This record gives sequence, structure tokens and C-alpha cells, in this order.
Amino acid sequence: MTEINPEPVDQTTPVEPSPNRIWSTTGRLAVVFLVVGLIALLAWGLVQAEKTPLEEGMAPDFTLTSFDGRTYTLSELRGNVVIINFWASWCPPCREEAAYLERTWRKYKDKGVIFIGVDYADAEKPALAYIDEFDITYFNGPDLGTRISQSYNIKGVPETYYVAKDGSLRGNHIGPLFEPELDNRIDELLSEPYTK
Amino acid sequence: MIPDIGLIALIIAFGLSVYATLLSVNGGMSKRLEWVASARNAIVAVFALLTISVLSIVYSLNALDFSQAYVADVSSRAMSPFLRITALWGGQQGSVLFWAWLMAGFVAVVVIRKWDADRELMPYVMFVAMLTTTFFVGVVVFITNPFTKMWLVPGAQDLVIAIFPPLNGQQYIPADGSGLNPLLRHFGMIGHPPTTYLGFTGFVIPFSFAIAALMKNDTTSDQWIRTVRRWTLVAWIFLSIGLILGGRWAYDVLGWGGFWGWDPVENAMLMPWLTGTAFLHSVMMTEKRGMLKKWNILLIILTYSLSLFGTFITRTGVIGSVHAFSKTALGPAFLIFISITFLGAMVLLMMRWNSLKAEHELESLFSREAAFVLQNMLFLAITIAVLWGTVFPLITELFTETKITVGPPYFKKVTGPMFLALITLMGITPMLAWRKQTLNKLLSRLAVPLAGASITAIAWALLNPKSPAISLFSIAMVAFVTLSILAEFWRGARIRMSTRGENPFTAFIKLVINNRRRFGGYIIHLGVVMIALGFIGDAFYKQETQGTLSAGESLTIGEYSLRFDGLEGYMGSDGREIVEASTVLFKDGQQVKVLKPRRDYFVVQQQPVSIAGVYSTAGEDVYVLLVGWESISNQNTTFKIYVNPLINWVWIGGFVLALGVLIGTWSQARGRSEATYSLKNQPDEGAVVGTATAPGIGD
Repeated sequence: MTEINPEPVDQTTPVEPSPNRIWSTTGRLAVVFLVVGLIALLAWGLVQAEKTPLEEGMAPDFTLTSFDGRTYTLSELRGNVVIINFWASWCPPCREEAAYLERTWRKYKDKGVIFIGVDYADAEKPALAYIDEFDITYFNGPDLGTRISQSYNIKGVPETYYVAKDGSLRGNHIGPLFEPELDNRIDELLSEPYTK
Repeated sequence: MIPDIGLIALIIAFGLSVYATLLSVNGGMSKRLEWVASARNAIVAVFALLTISVLSIVYSLNALDFSQAYVADVSSRAMSPFLRITALWGGQQGSVLFWAWLMAGFVAVVVIRKWDADRELMPYVMFVAMLTTTFFVGVVVFITNPFTKMWLVPGAQDLVIAIFPPLNGQQYIPADGSGLNPLLRHFGMIGHPPTTYLGFTGFVIPFSFAIAALMKNDTTSDQWIRTVRRWTLVAWIFLSIGLILGGRWAYDVLGWGGFWGWDPVENAMLMPWLTGTAFLHSVMMTEKRGMLKKWNILLIILTYSLSLFGTFITRTGVIGSVHAFSKTALGPAFLIFISITFLGAMVLLMMRWNSLKAEHELESLFSREAAFVLQNMLFLAITIAVLWGTVFPLITELFTETKITVGPPYFKKVTGPMFLALITLMGITPMLAWRKQTLNKLLSRLAVPLAGASITAIAWALLNPKSPAISLFSIAMVAFVTLSILAEFWRGARIRMSTRGENPFTAFIKLVINNRRRFGGYIIHLGVVMIALGFIGDAFYKQETQGTLSAGESLTIGEYSLRFDGLEGYMGSDGREIVEASTVLFKDGQQVKVLKPRRDYFVVQQQPVSIAGVYSTAGEDVYVLLVGWESISNQNTTFKIYVNPLINWVWIGGFVLALGVLIGTWSQARGRSEATYSLKNQPDEGAVVGTATAPGIGD
């Protein structure tokens, strides 16, 4: 379609680069950068979202301070089988496994097994009430800034990670644990030889 | 058998989509009309074939054909036929097909209806629209195919999900399906998802027109912009209704006493709504004054890209939300698609930037044009603020390795004042003329609404002595806009009464009927003001309390008190354990309603759903939640009570909004001055430059 237009169309006239035009080039570049930046951010977000909970390799190291002020560092527990359980007081399925976890802990605590409860996105008061309710005696602390949860890429609670004596990750369990799965996994890992 | 037909139809639809995409653009470039006509027929066929595909799934869902993996995933024996059918969009696979089907529907309607008016542009419109549709149909075929079956393979731990049997595979048909997510088992399932999808997919039409105009460099004519305005309005009203129904659903099901929580997915839906609303206003500037052309195209591109962005974050879980679906291979494909769409469109716009010249410059700050520009700036600023808050967790995670989520306070603080400014503008703008308005005349027209607003605010302050100043100002602005709109109705009706001797009622009705677009717009504004009233109630006057009661005890909030009478537990019809409390609500000591708040626990899905007991009046809702109990007894049962003033105005406003759109768009169905006016122009003359500038035409 042609247009009846009294003025000649802008792009056909040769124009000196005016400040206005330079600005508009910069403006255009800025817009393109913004768009590309946003897309890159989404791409990065997608990569993060596609990550699945860790299953193998060395277990990411962390230091956790418990509710009663003790501190554990995972890498200092070599030689022990470590069970890392992510939980929260607001999580109903966590309640289903709580008693079983505590029972198993009491069964194995003198056999070179360490349980670490990592309390995810929780408040201290309900968390302590939860620990009290299930009479939980293994090491338990809040995951401040959800750093530990992120390093294991947890997708929710409860999740349980099995760490062998040499500090390597040996799979995980998503969702509540039921008898005798935890016992079996611990027995397996305990039977492995370990030399420093 | 039936699923096979659906699958075959789907595959042919994909082939025809590719065909239509390639043929339309080739036909357009080489001016071979028969190619374009063939592409058009293919588009209609694609829609018909996808309809068959959709129907076959609906049939399987209702007939509980558990040989289909999708049916086993989202349907179950315990679900009512109503829910089984709505399960079409209750899971990933079905909803992507549903999306593709709606989009194909829009494109089919456009190619059938607008064949002649935009003949030059049509091949390119078809190309852009079908490229998009082909992508979605392709996703349905290759990534989220809803016609897969489940197979047992010896040695494999999990079932293999595939269309064709794997080696040594034996088909697995479960006795029952898992059924819909409990939160979706609600009457709202028929409303919110389909309207939202219609809104999102509908924006493909304005987008296709805009890109087609850029591709063809046909930006001097603005005929296409008129076509696009209506399609945008169609998509916009569906998106508006989708937003409101979503709010209502959240209010009924999610059990936190509110209807809008600034959840990432709510934001994702709000953003295209904001830019779409901005476009619907700025497009008038192009129609009347030939201004803001670049801006309009930018808004269309943004609106459509933001719709895709919304779908992307909904479907991939990039930003955590209650709406996120399980992961699939959809994410990467979708990301590439969004990148190409958004980046391609922006680059194209940049290339054509200089040819998109405005025909008029802004003449005065006291003009309708200036008000529209300001309004557009505000809409865009709100969109940017919402976008920033939505992607903020991603940005913080990228730079600090900790996800920091900005909550509702951020959104309220940042967008609240801007929304208030928009509402104020809504009252002033109708009083401004195009081009320029003298200050005196403006002030004289504003006097009555402003006086009324002040009186309302004072009365409100006396009735609610503890009101914060900002809430009084908000109420005043709501009154101001309402009065200024009513004044427009009054002015118009009075003229008819004096010049034609009509009685007030006839004058009012005829005024609206004869100026449907303009007064439809005002009615939409009235709806928006009502919704704003609901948000003001939510922001400033909400009350809540919580307490643990034994039978016979009461909990008091404001002038209400709630007496707890007892708790009982029973099994529901579709696999839910229900715990229900009997309570009685009193207002000023008088019994007003028996409320039964309950908690349903879906055993299979391990998911609780709170269903509030609600006492609802035009003024406020009393919303009672059963929060906890010790055991099924009449002791120590905890309740949470919200008093939500003005909340019902959100829903009423929604109805008024829809009514306004109905009136406003109806006007174009029959001949009206503007429509015949543009028809008089031969397509080749195209332009309507300068002629539409006479003040007082339409809106």
C-alpha cells in the first residue's frame, strides 16, 4: 500500500548522524542487551530448575550448627556412614517417617553411623516442638539461607541422602522412608571396607 | 481405536501446519494467491483436525480408558464426569494440546473472517500465526504427546511411557487412575484455566498482525491496527476474566483468606494484562491522531512475549510457584521458541523504527493525548516493577547463591501508588479533549466529582475513624472516578433529553446504544473501580484472628463472634477424609449463619485442602478456616477468622467489566460511522491521515 504523505519518508533522505540518532542507536543496543539478558537469565533459571537431586559423586561438604549449639562438618566425619535427612516441621509426610528415623538412629548410633537432620525453611519454635514431639536425639540444625538444601538440589522435604564412609554420595530417597529401607541401606554401607 | 484417531489427526495437523506456514509466506512474497488460499484452507483443516484430537482425549478421559497414560494420570473412577472432562487441561500433555487447539481456533477464525480487509497483509499474518501454532502442535507431537501408553519392560524398574511398544514391552493398564490434583477438583476448573488460555493464545493474533506489518514494512497504513484492536480486546477480556476467576478460586481453595498473593504465576498473568491494557488505550492515539505507532507495536510485542514468559515459568518451574508442573523436555524447546519470538520481534521493530513516524506531535500537557501517554508510562512502569520482583529470586541466586523472594510488601509498596495514580487518571482523562483543553474548562468539569470525592472521604473517615490517610485518599479517588464517569453519562443523557425530548431512561439507554464503544469503555472503567475498591478493602481494612476453642466457647473479631459446637470426621465420596467443624457466627449478638469450615485430606495424593466457611455480604466476608485439632473431639480446635471488607466488589467488578466489553465490542458488529468510514477508502489509499483528528469523534 502506498501512503499519501506530504513528507518524504525519513529513511530515504541521507542524514548526518545527529545526537538524536546516536542516542537512538545506543538505545536500541540497550534494548537488545536487556532482552538478551532476560533470556539468558531464564536459560540459567531453566538449568537450575532442571537439576535433579544429587545421587553420586562426593557429597557436597557443609558445616551445620545444631539447635543446641554443636557444630558438625561433613568432611570431618570420614569413616562413618552419614545419613542426611532434610525435613521441616510444616511438612506432613516428614511426620510419617520421624519415628522410624529416630528408632533407626538409636539402633545404629554406636555402630559408626551418624544422622544429621537438616531443617529446611522453618522457624525455630515449631522445629523444636517437632523435635520434642518425636523425641529426636540425633544431630539437628537449621539450614540457614537454604545453602545445604541448594547444594544437594533438594526438590522438597523429606529427602534423605546416604553418604558412604569415604564421603561419597550413594543415592537418595525422595519422600518419607518406611521400614526396612533405611536399615538395609545402612547395613549395606556399613559392610563396605574403609581405609584412611 | 478412538485414541488412535486422535493421534492420527494430530500428526496430520502437524504436517498441515508446516505446510500452511511455508506456503503462506511464499505465496505472499511471490504474490501467488492460489498458494495463499491453499494455506488458508490448510489452517482451517488444522483446526478441525485438532478438534478431533481434543475430542478423542475428552472421550477417553470420560470413558476412563486407562490404557492411555494421560488418562491414568489425571482421571479416576472417583471423579465426576464434569471433572473428568476438565482434566483435559489438568495435566501437562492435555493442556499443551488444549493450548495449541485454541490458538489454531483463533487463527482459523481470523483467516475466515478478515480475508478481504487485510488482504495484502494476510499471508504474513498467516505465516507468523502458523509458525507459532506449528511450534505448539510440534510440542504436542514430539514432547508432550497425550496419546502415550504405559509399557512393562522386563528388567526395567519403571514403566516405559511411549506410543509404540518398546522391545519385549507388554502394555500395562492400571485398574484406576491417580486422578486430578486435589486443588484442581473444584468448580473453578471450568472457568479459570480455559479463560486464561483463551487470553494468552488470543494475543497471537495482534502479535501476528504487528509482525506482518513490520515484515512487509507496511507501517504507514494503520488499517491493521483497527483490526488488531478488536482481537486484543477479545484476548484481553478473557485474560481479565481469567485473572478474576483465578483470584476467586484461590480465595475458595487455597485457604489463606486472600485472592491475590503476588505469586510468580499470578504476576506472569498480570504483566501481559498490564501491557495489553496499555495497548488498548494507546491504540486510540493511533486511530485518532496517528501517534504512538512504534509504541503500539512495542506494546503488542511485549504483551505476547509476556504471555509466553508466563506460560514458560508456569510450565518449567524456573520460578517456584504453586502452579508449577512436573519437569519435562518442554523447558529448553520453549526457551528457544521464546528467545526467537521476542528477540526476532524486537530486532524487526528496531529495523523499521525510522519508518514509523508519528503524524502529530503532542500539543499540550492538558490534552487527552498527554493523559494517555502518562497512563501508558504508568502501566509500563508497573509491568517493569512486577517483572523485577518476579525474576528477583533468580537474580539473587545468580549473584549471591541464595534465593531471595520479594514478598507481597514489595509489590504493594511499589505498584500501589502507581495503581492509585492510574485510577486518578481514569477520572480526569474523559474530561480532557483531544489536542488541548483549557485549564478553566477542565477545572469546571472536575468540580462536582472532586467535591463528591471529598465528601465521600470525610464520611468514610467518620465511619472508619482508624483509617490511614492513604486509604482515605484511595476511597476519595474511587468516588471521584465513579462520579466523573456518571457525569459523562449524565451530560450525554441531558443533551438527548433537551434536543430530542426523550425521557431520562430512554435518553440513557439510547446514549449507550448509540455510543457503544465509548460508553462500553466507561462501564469497563466502572468495573475496574469496583475491583479497586476490593483491593483497598484487602490492603487497609482486613482483620484476622486465631484462637483455640473447646465446644461452646467463642472467638470474637470486630462485631462478630464465632461459637464452636463440635467436630466430626467422615469419608468423602472421592477418596477424601473430611474433618468438619460446626460453628455458629453471631453479629452483634444475633445469630447470622451456621458455618462449616472443613479440612479434606486426599489420601492417595497425601494432600490436604482447606475449605473455608464463609458468610458473605456486599459489605464484607467473614472467612473461617479450620486450622488444627487435637483429635476428632470437641476439645482444642483451632480456627482462623478473616474479615475481608469490600472483597465482593472484586467479583461484582468482574461482571461489570465483562458487560462493558460486551457493549463496547458489540458496536462494531453492526454498521457504525467509523466502520463505514474506513470502508469508503480503497485499500490502496489506505491512510486516514488527518481526517480523524476532528475533536469530539467517538471516544
